[in-house]
Amino acid sequence: MTAIQTADGSNRPVVTIKLAATSDELMQCFALRAAVYMGEQQCPYWEEFDGNDYSASHLMLYVDGEPAASIRIRWFGTFAKFERAVILKRYRSMGLFMPFCEWAKEFARKKGYTKVYLHSQHRLWQIMERGGFKKLDDRVFHFSDHEYGAFIADLEVDEKTVPSIHSDPMILNRPEDQLDRPGILEKSMDRGATNPHADWMAPRTTN
Amino acid sequence: MSTVAQSIGGEPVTTKLAMKMEDSLQAFAVRAACFIGELEVPFSEEFDGHDFGATHIIAYVGDEPAGAVRVRWFQSFAMPERLAVIQRFRGHNLGNLLLERCRALANSRGCNMLYCQALPADVKYWEKQGWRRLVPEEAGGGTKQIVAMVQAVDPSKPLPDVEAPEAVVLRREAQLDSTGMPFGTVSN
Repeated sequence: MTAIQTADGSNRPVVTIKLAATSDELMQCFALRAAVYMGEQQCPYWEEFDGNDYSASHLMLYVDGEPAASIRIRWFGTFAKFERAVILKRYRSMGLFMPFCEWAKEFARKKGYTKVYLHSQHRLWQIMERGGFKKLDDRVFHFSDHEYGAFIADLEVDEKTVPSIHSDPMILNRPEDQLDRPGILEKSMDRGATNPHADWMAPRTTN
Repeated sequence: MSTVAQSIGGEPVTTKLAMKMEDSLQAFAVRAACFIGELEVPFSEEFDGHDFGATHIIAYVGDEPAGAVRVRWFQSFAMPERLAVIQRFRGHNLGNLLLERCRALANSRGCNMLYCQALPADVKYWEKQGWRRLVPEEAGGGTKQIVAMVQAVDPSKPLPDVEAPEAVVLRREAQLDSTGMPFGTVSN
């Protein structure tokens, strides 16, 4: 589920979605958010970059290789929180948000999350409802100059395939957006448990 | 020259060179807000591969990153570019403050010329900041998209009439292969 591709030989753009996995991709994510929140919505820097970026997962959507949209996900004990969803102005009205949101839900589901929670700006409530989210309660709250309501979506998790402490340990080592295919550490198993630093460890362990 | 606000809304105005990852990120965020968010420049043009061979200067209003400029260094000149001020902080001459910091930095490095490439619509702004066209208007051909402009680092030492390269500096640095040599330079 690493990528959705819509290349059918026509001149339709190629859309790719992935987990930001390198500092380049993270920087693209931050640039998109700065463009939309700071540039368009006049959000102050310290509210946009609120200290939670380095404890979160960032999803990136590309259109013909150009960074176009991103979503931040923070992981709580019983739910995943979607945040900071942006689409660059020129890529809006291409219908990218729903498939991106579905991809994000699928990502959370494959990690075993049964619930997604988010705060939606008031103007987007209808869109969230069309995207399968329902309003959690009647509370309306505001921060960073906008009114918000809390929304949730339930995800159906297959108990047999959900990652758990009883899963194959090497599955838990895989890149998180590619849990269904072997990762680089599985390839490293070819080298065996050769313990290459044994030589310099030896003097300490003989004491 | 125009005066620069020392404080905006009671918040002190300061500048600093980006020294840490977080500083650079602030410079990038300011540019993304202005160039990608407001002017719809594509990401890949805004972040063109020069950002890690350049110096970034950031202007703050209190703690808030309010403006940024990038300086690239060449043997015969320093090149300020990507000058950006967040919308709500405009009108306080932060751009001038950033350019003055560029000038002082260039001076401290023994550089004697600042060079920039301005959009035709911005030429008046740069002239107000003490810059002049590298090539007089008529000689430029008239249809150019970009106007080369220069300023003496030390105002008491006016620039001789030198020809700075007009287009070559916009190119990406050569892509390096794993040995550090530009691609295509090693035949074996």
